[in-house]
Amino acid sequence: MSNTTRKTNTGAIAIANAEGITKRPWFTPVVIAVVAVVILALPLMLPELANQTLARVVVFAVAVLGLNVVMGYTGQVSLGQIFFLGLGAYVTAYGEEQGWHIVITFLLSMIIPGLVGLLIALPAARLGGLAIAMVTIALPIIGLPLAKRMGDFTGGSQGISASFGQAPDWTGLYKDQWQLYVVLIIGAAAFLLTRNLVRGKYGRAFAIVKGNENVAKSMGISPYNYKVLAFTVASIIGGLSGFLYMFVVEYTSPETMAFHHSITLLAAMVIGGAGSIVGSVIGGAYYVFVPQLTNAINPNATALLQGIILLVVLFVLPGGVVTLPRLIKRLTRRRGGGSRPGAPGAAPPPAVPTGPEGAAGLAKPTASTPSSSSTTASSDEGGASTRPPSDGTTPER
Amino acid sequence: MGTFIQLVVDGLSTGSIYAALALAIVLVNQATGLINFAQGGMAVLSAYLAWWFLGTGVPLILAIIISMVLSFVIGAAIERGLMRRFEGGEPDTAVVATIGLLTLITGFCGLIWSYNNHQMPSLFPLDTVNVAGAALSVRSIGTIVAIVAIMLLLQLLLMGTKFGLALRAVSINPQSAALSGLPVGRLLMAGWGIAAALGAVAGALVAPSLTLTPGMMDNALVYALAAVILGGLSSPLGVVVAAWIIGVLENLAAVYVGFIGHDLKIAVPFILIFVVLVVRPQGLFGRKSVVRV
Repeated sequence: MSNTTRKTNTGAIAIANAEGITKRPWFTPVVIAVVAVVILALPLMLPELANQTLARVVVFAVAVLGLNVVMGYTGQVSLGQIFFLGLGAYVTAYGEEQGWHIVITFLLSMIIPGLVGLLIALPAARLGGLAIAMVTIALPIIGLPLAKRMGDFTGGSQGISASFGQAPDWTGLYKDQWQLYVVLIIGAAAFLLTRNLVRGKYGRAFAIVKGNENVAKSMGISPYNYKVLAFTVASIIGGLSGFLYMFVVEYTSPETMAFHHSITLLAAMVIGGAGSIVGSVIGGAYYVFVPQLTNAINPNATALLQGIILLVVLFVLPGGVVTLPRLIKRLTRRRGGGSRPGAPGAAPPPAVPTGPEGAAGLAKPTASTPSSSSTTASSDEGGASTRPPSDGTTPER
Repeated sequence: MGTFIQLVVDGLSTGSIYAALALAIVLVNQATGLINFAQGGMAVLSAYLAWWFLGTGVPLILAIIISMVLSFVIGAAIERGLMRRFEGGEPDTAVVATIGLLTLITGFCGLIWSYNNHQMPSLFPLDTVNVAGAALSVRSIGTIVAIVAIMLLLQLLLMGTKFGLALRAVSINPQSAALSGLPVGRLLMAGWGIAAALGAVAGALVAPSLTLTPGMMDNALVYALAAVILGGLSSPLGVVVAAWIIGVLENLAAVYVGFIGHDLKIAVPFILIFVVLVVRPQGLFGRKSVVRV
């Protein structure tokens, strides 16, 4: 068991180091400026189809972001995220049909999935380990017949459509441009809020719960409460992605929350990078583009190829595509040193990170005994008797 | 009354199919501490193998036995070639790996044998016997008997043999087990192999009634996981009883509870889980594990 927790913590160190690089003083302003210019310009220049595709990438990036809160940051495997997307989409469609004010629909599309998520998490989080995974796998599988059954609200198997993405006259924009701008703004807000959440007090609690529940308990952090909180937040974000889905795709049916979509969403999160904000964006892109690509190669091989991609990424890049730059760096630095790609416990980056998380990454080995820090940094086998060094230091972050 | 008995026996029969899958999940969990979400997919692959051998002219019972043996090999190979990379690591990663495996196997079956339905003949005759006014199918009774036999064998294997003791030792503490000279790697391979062979039984039993498709086990997997939660991960007997309870309750609910009906009966184990989790978080038969910091 201690082996397990130790690996988790070296993973946390690796993540902290990656974020350390992005915390260099010049990095953030430059990135923000470049991204802002590109984002403002792109919708005006791209063709309609590209805008629509990008909007869908944002929709699923938000869904992956929600999954990341519960799975990447808190370590609770959830297979039900697509259910909350579907629920949010249905609430939005129903609200539009009833002619509710858009703001009310928008809020309800988050509140209702949030409440349902809370109701599910309250009993599910009582069981430790993989119980949330085992319970949430049922959500898409129950959601599909349930949506068919509740035809008055959902339109049954035919689904329900709602169109409310027309650009207001004052903007002078085409519909696809307006849709992309709105989705980008709401998506950016969701990303910013989530980033603040997972970097702040609650994020630290999530990380401790993920690392070792007993340590969390001994520090007065209730794993149960934080698991429920993370799941609820994930459901709210899932509902929001459902609202955006309806705004962009304008149609939802029970098929939206089919089981294989749920698996693809989880794969997208893992492939992008669990516990990573940037990874969520990559995950959204994976969700939209890779099925199109595999479909183009051979529609019958889509599932097979997706399974292979997921397993290959787990083998080579357990941290997801977002850790690719780090892997390349490590391989070029330690050429011929027999380094194992994807082995956790990456050496700290050469530059001293200035951010709080980078500092925590460096502080961990020093706070523990020398022997345990060397085990952590050098190998991922053996050394089971060493305490996870980061457990003691994480709260200092 | 006749309808009721019939529903109960049919429920026990479908419950037995979930039980076979649930036992496989428990076995892998006991050996590796991991929930294998690919167990349903592996059972589908086994069913396809049996169906394929059947097509080459092998008698049904032999086809099923061949598919069980092949499944054992495939299961052991998956453990050695794929899952060993993730064992002892972060449980999340290992679970995601099994989910990737599920996608891969489903995709493989779809690519080789297409996504169309195939008809698989049943191991048992389609006759019915009359008991207290209920027409019970021989298939239902045969399924129940088969699963009871397997459960007893498994219980005996885990609790009554040196091999079972070794398997349990590996699951509790792989390092101590290795230090006491147990071949941990081979035991894990054997655990996965037996689980896959068990899944093959589930596949062979379920395929005739569902018709063979790559996704046919998705629902059964949910039932099996529900049975695992309800029965507790440490008790083969508890898991089988839980699977039976689920099978019977969902059958009764489908007929007697108007809103649920046949399409929503999969919600029954889910509701049951919620009730049990609130009342008894360690599962119906599971022991409460005490963890020391």
